[in-house]
Amino acid sequence: MGSVTNTTEKALKMLRALPRVTIGNIRPNPDSKQRSKRGRGQHGGDKHGAGNKGSGQRQNFMRLGYETGNTPFYTRFPYEPYYKGHHLRREYRPISMLQLQTLLDTNRLDTNGIIDLTSICNTGLFSIKPDERQYGFQLTDEGADLFRGKINIEVQYASDEAIAAIEKNGGHIRTAYYDMRSLQAMINPQKWFEKGVPIPKRMVPPLDAMEYYSSAERRGYLADPEEISKERLVLAQKFGYELPKIEEDPDFERLTATKDPRQIFYGLEPGWVVSLKDKAIIKPK
Amino acid sequence: MRSVRSLHTIINKDGQLLRKQPSGRIIAAFAHTEPAETTEPPASFAEVEEEKPPQKLNTSRLLPQHRKMLREERPYSEPHSWIHTTEKYNRMMFGRYGLSSGVDPRICFPTKSDLEEQAEYERVAFPHTIPEMIEINKKAKEEKRAQIRKREEELEKKLEKLDQWKRELNAKIAKKEAEAQAAKERKERLIEEVRRHFGFKVDPRDDRFKEMLEQKEREDRKKTKEAKRKAKEDKMLAKLQETAKGMNEKDTKGAASKGQIEDKD
Repeated sequence: MGSVTNTTEKALKMLRALPRVTIGNIRPNPDSKQRSKRGRGQHGGDKHGAGNKGSGQRQNFMRLGYETGNTPFYTRFPYEPYYKGHHLRREYRPISMLQLQTLLDTNRLDTNGIIDLTSICNTGLFSIKPDERQYGFQLTDEGADLFRGKINIEVQYASDEAIAAIEKNGGHIRTAYYDMRSLQAMINPQKWFEKGVPIPKRMVPPLDAMEYYSSAERRGYLADPEEISKERLVLAQKFGYELPKIEEDPDFERLTATKDPRQIFYGLEPGWVVSLKDKAIIKPK
Repeated sequence: MRSVRSLHTIINKDGQLLRKQPSGRIIAAFAHTEPAETTEPPASFAEVEEEKPPQKLNTSRLLPQHRKMLREERPYSEPHSWIHTTEKYNRMMFGRYGLSSGVDPRICFPTKSDLEEQAEYERVAFPHTIPEMIEINKKAKEEKRAQIRKREEELEKKLEKLDQWKRELNAKIAKKEAEAQAAKERKERLIEEVRRHFGFKVDPRDDRFKEMLEQKEREDRKKTKEAKRKAKEDKMLAKLQETAKGMNEKDTKGAASKGQIEDKD
């Protein structure tokens, strides 16, 4: 018994010699989660993405293109002719012949009328932005060998191979120019009609586009129809196919229907107002 | 709740009118929430409710204009803002809601002055007709082609003389080189002579060497001058001799002919 008390006393003595259990002497539990400090402000008192020191923090940004003492890239090369007039050039968004065939196969285009910019936009798969100088669509030759549609199409630009592919299948193609205002009406006719504004008149192409749209080779809408029929034969010989006789086609009328050079919607004249709610056309006197 | 509150305000506003004509019309107005159309309100709200409980209650909480838009009707029958009086807004109302909007479609069309302005714009922006434009393009293209052709012709003409120019240039270069080589050889020869004179290798920077070289050069120059003079003299002499010979021949010929004549006589 005596030894026991002795041991107890020993232990107590040891305990007394040990530091006290206080808040200052205890450590966090092992593997316990350390809470991060709560900063002040919206993002916990950080720099809000502006960085530390310098023009980044002060947000006095350098002028565009400045490289802190280096010769700026934009002045490094004295002559860049390929950019000349780039802000004025017309862009035509490409549609390959394969994509056109897919549109026909998936029944997204009505082959009973003219396939024009509006009908291509209405597929919902292609769009243009006239205010970014996109003046319409161009047909590229990719998949021209696979094309099997007999269509009457109007695009803004077409390669020789694309023209050949359409004419080989008994179709009809014209390249046509639309000015920016007409394009705004064409990309979304419903929006235009709901403005209650008359259908605009199509303007003549600018001088630098006139050569393209008046050449029979490019199937321009301002070219002489007789010359176009000659060029059709020339192209058939160039690509080595027999030109189908479009004059003897039962759908001749439908296939060769074209718009007036001043017209933007087939069947609707410039100056008319369309009320979609009443399904009525209001014509000026 | 909104509709009830709005109705309340109307009742409070036109309290007298409400008392005058008691009818069930307010119910309809209540259902459609069209405060503008409540021209014949009933005597009091409580009374009407007792008479006919509402059949159809609009619980959508939509504002009347929004509810109208939902039913594809013109949102405001009367202008609520200055915007509603503008031509653009009214055209839009016609475009969206058609003849039922009550807008006269004549406002959709441009006025005479608008048309004149449009015509003027077209006149300024597109001064040329299509055939004119084609003609202008053709002319510009031809001009460009003519310019290229002219330049090519110039080049061809110059290329014809190219061989001759090359030969001339090469000859010039060769001559220059030969001259330089001759001068160098002469100098070397002179130095060599000076060395031979002294009998040992003298530093070319030495004064004695320089003096000697100068002397030698002078001599050389003299020699060349002499040679030149001699050559000139020789040439002259040869020429003189030739002329003399020619004269002699003439003389002898003349004499011979004379002799013949004399013989005849």
